[in-house]
Amino acid sequence: MKVFITGSTGFVGSHVVAAALGAGHDVVALVRPASSDPFPTLSSHPRLTLHRGDLRDPRTIAGAFDGVDVVVHLAAAKAGDFATQFAGTVIATENLIDELARSRVRRLVAISTFSVYDFSAIEAGSLIDETSPIDGSPTDRDEYAQTKLIQERLYREEMAHREVVILRPGMIYGRDNLWHPLLGSELGPVFLRIGSRATMPMTYVENTAAAIVAAIDADGVGGETINIVDDDLPTQKDYARDVEAYVTPPSSVPVPWPVMSGIAHLLDRMNRSMLGGRAKFPGVLVPAKLDGRFKPFRYSNVKAKRLLAWTPTISQRDAFVRSLRDDVLTEVAGRT
Amino acid sequence: MTLPPSAQRRLTAAVLGTGGISKEHLGFLAASRDIDLVGVCDRSPAALRHAAETYSTTGFATFGEMLDQAQPDVVHVLTPPATHSALSAEALEAGSHVICEKPITATAAELQDLLAVARRCDRVLTENHNYRFNPEVEALVALTGDGPLGDVVEVEVRIHLPVTDPAGRFGDPNLPSPIHDLPAGVVHDFITHFTYLVNYLSGGARWERVASEWSAHCGAAHIPVDDLDAILVGSAPWGPVHGRIRFSALASPDEFEVTVRGANGYAQAELFSGRWVENRPRRVGDQLNSIANLMIGGVNQFLGGPRSFARKIMQAGPYAGLNRFLEETYRSLANETPVPVGPEEMLAASELIDRLVAGRRESASDLTETTREGQR
Repeated sequence: MKVFITGSTGFVGSHVVAAALGAGHDVVALVRPASSDPFPTLSSHPRLTLHRGDLRDPRTIAGAFDGVDVVVHLAAAKAGDFATQFAGTVIATENLIDELARSRVRRLVAISTFSVYDFSAIEAGSLIDETSPIDGSPTDRDEYAQTKLIQERLYREEMAHREVVILRPGMIYGRDNLWHPLLGSELGPVFLRIGSRATMPMTYVENTAAAIVAAIDADGVGGETINIVDDDLPTQKDYARDVEAYVTPPSSVPVPWPVMSGIAHLLDRMNRSMLGGRAKFPGVLVPAKLDGRFKPFRYSNVKAKRLLAWTPTISQRDAFVRSLRDDVLTEVAGRT
Repeated sequence: MTLPPSAQRRLTAAVLGTGGISKEHLGFLAASRDIDLVGVCDRSPAALRHAAETYSTTGFATFGEMLDQAQPDVVHVLTPPATHSALSAEALEAGSHVICEKPITATAAELQDLLAVARRCDRVLTENHNYRFNPEVEALVALTGDGPLGDVVEVEVRIHLPVTDPAGRFGDPNLPSPIHDLPAGVVHDFITHFTYLVNYLSGGARWERVASEWSAHCGAAHIPVDDLDAILVGSAPWGPVHGRIRFSALASPDEFEVTVRGANGYAQAELFSGRWVENRPRRVGDQLNSIANLMIGGVNQFLGGPRSFARKIMQAGPYAGLNRFLEETYRSLANETPVPVGPEEMLAASELIDRLVAGRRESASDLTETTREGQR
């Protein structure tokens, strides 16, 4: 199958490119005009071609989907102010969907995120699955969650025109991304280790990539939304203990979850009652943002296993070891 | 915002363009009890829907539809600079007043043409000069003239911003910003702030000599210029006045610093953080004056930390002046009195931009000469 992959040079995208090649697909990777050597270890692969363009400029992707069967859309902005992330996530998706309308692409594998859930409205300890509510009023959430919610709405509207499968990966870890934001947050010079017993909705990047590639040709997934998390999810305490053998953690101050949550809610009440809600505090002091990262829940990958015939084959222990290797992408992609 | 009782007429407003600055304009209009926000327009359907839903107004897919159907009294033109002139003219012709983001036009001649359209249509055209309305800038003005600093002898405005950062909207090599095509390149996004501030703070000095040096320090092909260093020499009714304009993408930290030097002392405001420094005559006599200034300055520095923190938390940042600019403009439009940024102020700012830009062409040829020297 001919697969077009956006966000292909990113942390997840490069693994999806390798996994798609490994699965025997012909891959067209969207690469931004200024990327000098986007795939140093894969560039000579016989089934990999590059398309230079930027989704924010529709002229650069005109005709790019000719002959393409499936588009995997990973590109999104993860940093910058709202306008920057809106352009990199929402406008980019809008342009991609406009180009899809001019193509014969059969399926869009649309990558969303766990961040769309309305964590504050879900009771602590509950199971989060695909039926859990998404945030309908995300003004207190960060720019990433806000723009990914708008993007997901565009995906749903596109379901009227073609097969769209929405994947919501949990918190992805791997090389250069082992010490994870779900363990805590920087507040000035201090790293606050917020909570210890919450289950982390982790997914190792190669497992995530395998699920995304499974969605390219899985039967009966059009119109579905599927969460992607690994098996045997660790608690914050267990993950931190295990990862310390591979990375040096920052100097930390532990803060129990109930204490942090209590402080954030107290500040929120004071802000609304005394300051008219105009004050803007750091993210870890805003209940909606704090809940999105540290509130304890349970998670399920039952639907992913059932619909995608996918199993996260790489354990956390193996994931840490593989994260330190340089040859993983070429091993996965193969040469034929 | 609440207009005074004298303001009898409710005005309707519409916004064209939903980019970064639109949040400030739409937030002001949506919060106003005296202005009806009747529409928003953007060519991106997703951006349009988001703005219309966020600010509870009607979204229009085309500008023509918005002008025809909403018939706004006022149109805010917030599109990219190269489109300001044509879209402002269209709104004026349709019978709307126009509040346009800076830079309103690329040249003073283009502005003259647009002002002629406004006159012919008997509509008001104004440009956002928001920093002029920041409380710190007003405080600087209050210190001059009859104030303790005395008559102004020198004004300096400097901005440090990392506009060449490849991860930023101006420096991104993947989607070069159209701002680089304007006469002052990326500096054109800020140059109006420089010119209206030096004009305003100098008391409307007539600039007799303007020298500007333009540079492209970053060397990126898509950023033809990223640095401006300009000297102005002119005169005011009380005597000579000097001006300095400095834009740097190299210097840190990010700053927007405005300094006014008078015959008796100086004061300086940093508009991003709110930092304030002054050295002026105190009531302690000449011998103790410098000691008094140091002690008062020390206390101010100490209190500046909590003040800056509170300002950040309360989001009372650099855009504080935009709300005041809009309040005063709408009050004038409702009362049919002259708006605070009128044709004279706009033209003075624009003509000074032209003179600064004229130096860019000379700098470019100098640079070529320097390069040739280096090659030899």
